[in-house]
Amino acid sequence: MPVFKRTTKNLILKIDEFFDNVDLGLLVFREAVKDYLQKDMEAFERHVQKVGSLESTADRLQRSIENEMITHSILPQHRGEVITLIDVMDEILDTIKSSLDEFSIELPDIPPSLNRDFLNITEASVSAGEELVPAARAYFKAPYTVREKLLKVYYFESETDKITKSTKKIIFQEMKELELAHKNHLRYIINRIGDISDNAQKAADLLSAMSIKILM
Amino acid sequence: MHEGNHKSENYNRSMIILFLTSGLFLGWSLGANDAANVFGSAVGSKMISFWKAAIIASVFVILGAVFQGSGTSETLSKLGAVNALGGSFTVALAAAVTVYLMVKFSIPVSSTQSIVGAIIGWNLFTGNTTDRSVLTQIVTTWVAGPVLGAIFAVILVSILMKIKKKAGIHLIRFESYIRTSLIIAGAFGAYSLGANNIANVMGVFVPAFNLQELSFGFFTLSSPQQLFLLGGLAIAAGILSYSGKVMQVVGSSIVELSSEAALVVVLSQGIVLFLFSSSGISEFLKNNGLFPLPLVPVSSTQVVIGSIIGIGFYKGARNINFRLLGSIGAGWLITPVFSGLLACLTLYFVKNVFSVDVGSRNSTGTISGITEGSANISDASASGILGYFIIGVLIVGVISLLLYYILERKKKIEFQRSEEKFWKYLK
Repeated sequence: MPVFKRTTKNLILKIDEFFDNVDLGLLVFREAVKDYLQKDMEAFERHVQKVGSLESTADRLQRSIENEMITHSILPQHRGEVITLIDVMDEILDTIKSSLDEFSIELPDIPPSLNRDFLNITEASVSAGEELVPAARAYFKAPYTVREKLLKVYYFESETDKITKSTKKIIFQEMKELELAHKNHLRYIINRIGDISDNAQKAADLLSAMSIKILM
Repeated sequence: MHEGNHKSENYNRSMIILFLTSGLFLGWSLGANDAANVFGSAVGSKMISFWKAAIIASVFVILGAVFQGSGTSETLSKLGAVNALGGSFTVALAAAVTVYLMVKFSIPVSSTQSIVGAIIGWNLFTGNTTDRSVLTQIVTTWVAGPVLGAIFAVILVSILMKIKKKAGIHLIRFESYIRTSLIIAGAFGAYSLGANNIANVMGVFVPAFNLQELSFGFFTLSSPQQLFLLGGLAIAAGILSYSGKVMQVVGSSIVELSSEAALVVVLSQGIVLFLFSSSGISEFLKNNGLFPLPLVPVSSTQVVIGSIIGIGFYKGARNINFRLLGSIGAGWLITPVFSGLLACLTLYFVKNVFSVDVGSRNSTGTISGITEGSANISDASASGILGYFIIGVLIVGVISLLLYYILERKKKIEFQRSEEKFWKYLK
């Protein structure tokens, strides 16, 4: 009988570990961007490697969670949504990793006057992701609280959009000294950072519907 | 009356088996249909595999039938003591055909209502009077079954929801508790189904049979218990051979229940059926000056529908499906009337065309007619054959279980190997 097996306990631990990875990935991303802006490339590369290992662990966990949920027929009525949620949250880590890889390979030249704006975008975007994690954990333990927790995700996502827009305006309308290619590159990097909050919002929408369904 | 007795004692063993077939067919159809009420939502939602559910249901239906089936059978005997094997055969056949037809027209059918109608048909045909107080008791129970089902469902679902909200258990752990509870509740539901509904399958044969006691050393089976065991085996055959399809339908298309709701439905159905078949509870209520619950076979399908409606009420569903309620009401009327008419018609044919004794008027009331033994079959070798048959079934059952276990284990080992390979190369 399922109660007497370790499957349930293992699966709960794996899901928790997966969320820990996403949480940690967001934290490392914030630090990595700070290091890059402060030109501390050694610390930056160390963080890039750390994100790489977090992302590969999360991928492994994701496959394992999917596997166990299907083979042991766990949460048959909500399994599809839980698997999708984990997939969408894994996309956040994928975005973090690919963004840092792009920083590392393309070495975008960020004018020092934009450092504060880049930090603000990163902070808002990462915060959206960070607020998502406790909401996702709450789905499993206290689904009644999920939607109020998600409000913060939506708030930070819209903050990210606002800061992104104003930064892009500065780049394209005020910084006449920059080449168009340079401007485009900066816009691309800003969009990549903003993708984190977009993915968090996507996961939040899903989580919001899931929490209603489970309470009905 | 004595002519009937003389005739039936001359029935050979093959005739006895032939006469039992209609009851066994009814048992098979009951297993195929009603097991879905117990495990349907769990299997349909893939909480439990079909074979696991079917094995548990089969074992517990047989246990319930053998050890607690006598109470409801007695009530049916009070309604009409069919005192000839030919009569029992025809009554069970009319009931079985009615069940089949009602299923075809998608009316939530109850084998109870069908058999009661057929017994009344027999009473009319043979000139026996139908005990009105027993009939009233039975009909009241038909209404009380779904109502009690709804009440129990509301109580259980509110308790379960409170536990879920306050305990803060991880969803996956909660689901695993529900799954385990479903297996236990399903076993209880199957036991109650066997105890309550075996009367529909074998009740009409009880007055006409007087088999020798069968001793297995540590326990003895009386004549009715041997019949109940046979009926239980027929129900189990129905569960194993045909209920899979019905379970899929119940679980996936008719009602989409959450796992907690599925547990509540199974539990409330088990409780209602248990209440109406436990002589212990009835005695307890009587001794404490309360209204004793009559031991009457109730329809598990209708109790399930009652329970689902109860859950709907609890969750604040505004649009209760009145068509469904209407179809239950229609079932209460159409099933017994149709079955009674069919029984009369078939009894006429069996008596006049095949010249088979279908029973006669009981001289001293319906119940005493049984004790006088107007048409008893008392065959020592029949009990012997039954004994060997039971041992044979037990051996086949144990071998099948062992085979099932070995195959499952093999599948698991192969899967584990493939998993190990997958993760090894993935690294």
